[in-house]
Amino acid sequence: MRHRRLLASTLVAAGLAFSAGCSAAAPASPKGDVTLTYLTFETPDLTASFWKTSIASAQAKVPGLSIKDVVSPNTDRDAYAKQLQASGQFPDLLQSITPSTFAQAGLIQPYPQSWVNANFLLPMGNAYKGKVYIPPTNSQIIPMVFFNKSLFAKAGISGTPKTWSDFMADCAKLKAAGITPIELGGGDSFAASMPLVGILSADVLGKDPNWLQERYQNKVHFTDPNVETAVAKYRTMVTDGYFEPGALSVSYADSITNFTSGKTAMYMMGSWFLGSVPKATADDFGSFMTPTDDGTLVVPFSVGGSMAISAKTPDPAKATAFAEDWSLDPANLKTLIEGDGAFPMLKGKTLDDYDVNVTQVFKDSYSYVTQDNTKVSAIGWATNDDSMPSGLNDDFYAASQALFNSNDVAGQMAKLDGEWNTATQ
Amino acid sequence: MTTRARRRRGDPALGAIAAVALGLYALFIIVPVIMSAWKSFTDENPLMAQAKFVGLANYREMTHDSTLAASLGFTLALAAGVTVVANAAGIGFAVLLNKTSLSFRMMRTVAFLPQVLSGVIVGFVWRYIMAEDGILNHLLTGLGIISRPISWLGTPDLAMFSVGVVAAWVLTGFTTVVHLAALQSIPLEMYQAARVDGAGRWQQFRHITFRMLAPGTTISVTISLITMLKLYDIIAALTGGGPAFATQSTALYIINLAFTDDRFGYASAVAMLLLVVSAVIALSVTSLLRRREVDL
Repeated sequence: MRHRRLLASTLVAAGLAFSAGCSAAAPASPKGDVTLTYLTFETPDLTASFWKTSIASAQAKVPGLSIKDVVSPNTDRDAYAKQLQASGQFPDLLQSITPSTFAQAGLIQPYPQSWVNANFLLPMGNAYKGKVYIPPTNSQIIPMVFFNKSLFAKAGISGTPKTWSDFMADCAKLKAAGITPIELGGGDSFAASMPLVGILSADVLGKDPNWLQERYQNKVHFTDPNVETAVAKYRTMVTDGYFEPGALSVSYADSITNFTSGKTAMYMMGSWFLGSVPKATADDFGSFMTPTDDGTLVVPFSVGGSMAISAKTPDPAKATAFAEDWSLDPANLKTLIEGDGAFPMLKGKTLDDYDVNVTQVFKDSYSYVTQDNTKVSAIGWATNDDSMPSGLNDDFYAASQALFNSNDVAGQMAKLDGEWNTATQ
Repeated sequence: MTTRARRRRGDPALGAIAAVALGLYALFIIVPVIMSAWKSFTDENPLMAQAKFVGLANYREMTHDSTLAASLGFTLALAAGVTVVANAAGIGFAVLLNKTSLSFRMMRTVAFLPQVLSGVIVGFVWRYIMAEDGILNHLLTGLGIISRPISWLGTPDLAMFSVGVVAAWVLTGFTTVVHLAALQSIPLEMYQAARVDGAGRWQQFRHITFRMLAPGTTISVTISLITMLKLYDIIAALTGGGPAFATQSTALYIINLAFTDDRFGYASAVAMLLLVVSAVIALSVTSLLRRREVDL
């Protein structure tokens, strides 16, 4: 009898738990207010406290709205959003996802164009097929070449290289002085891709800014001679010993420590590295763009932003109001600028308007954004029409790792073409 | 009701518990396998509501998928290598630790420790140990064994080897415990008789211990193989499948196909392949090892 009672109570409890689990997804609270879910992610700079404060601030300005944050288990928001979608839990708001992937599936809705035009410096900076799915609040340069001024001086280098041959000559001088010229956190595949992103963006997209669109139209290929020539430059950097031999064992986090502690002279990384420059020794660091053969300045650029809005949200008006308020809040931009090295893109504001404490190297790097120069999409990082097909970024990063150990440039490029074709079928 | 009558009819409470267990097994194992089998004939995408029936297209694609071939090759090699090493080490440790004193009991606990840790934690810890300037390289250079750091995780061949070492380290805890249990069921009289007949330690091990461990070895080898064929967590944390997908196990490839490439249908087909390959290998090895037990 006792067994039966125990079993009955267990089943009842399980049933209640199951039905409670089902009803947890219901959007309306007893007061008739709406609760929306918001996919966020946490980093050492974008802490749980930052999200809590920023959500509370925007939520307070939208009456009748409650926000429940869903924290991604890692920084790969796209993958987690896909898992949530597959299990019927697609969030109402999604921070910093790649819009093209989700827009193609009709899962996210565009922002009112008039609001975007009124508030941002580059309203169409991350537009996908003519619509803006993520407010273009900030931008990154991917990659910049950061350098250590003391180590440059020790190797007898004055000034920054303007051409590729200058760059190679500086690498040779550093190596001769017993200094590892370039840091590479190749253990994390995205970090391993940085030199290749820099070279391809400068050499290929710098000459043909529509290259990625043409790749979609099958007019150009990774196996084209100009692409292979550019990739061969990266191989030369490896074979000439400008990275440490075990660079693919170095994690992204360790690569930052190695460079900021003066173990290596240069570091090719996205401008978010500016958030990691130690304040105490910041004056020792500078930055320049990946040099081209003829010295033309090419800036690999990506416009990022805040959150996307689900096309299926039960209350699009409140979701949009929350997203718009969060995106324009200078306090949120301040955190992104100081901690994540983000370059703000809000209309009518200067750095001073955000009350930020940034280094000189940040200011110098930001000047590339405000200057009139050749900006191209950072290959593999753009989130607009120039974004790669879903899944291809990982193949591109893997090719970068493979090319660290292999001379088979043609083979790796053919593989990328094959994967591009499969992904776009 | 008499005890005999209850036994004949069966205890209703136990029957209900068994029904719940079977229900849960069906819900969480059988139904997902059937759903996955169905999805493998579709082009399902996690982002799209509608999926189209594509017949055998996914299975045809597998025949010329070089990434799948590479991941399957790595997985099979890993499973074979780690199973052999972990079981050999497990037998060795079991023989060494088959004592009753407190210190040996503590050493048994230590030997089992890796098995208790989460695969993700194991992966992260070893990632630090095997990093370019990690403890392992410091130790080897300090002892003068190597002159410059070795890229344990950054060179494809070495990374594959490193994954194998870590997986074998984890699995050895399990194989040791299984073999220890099997060792303790061997009657001491057999050893006494052997010693009377003049058998040395090696002969005792070869003719008594190794042969009498057979039932334990069957369980240990089979579970080791299955564990390695579906290995995901350690690799995800240790190498992420890199460099350049060199250590991408088939399980990792399935996850990447599903949630990076958005190809649930194809990922399901590969999952079916892995299920069949695992089942065939597990059944063949079990049958082979059971035959060895019968021969004893």
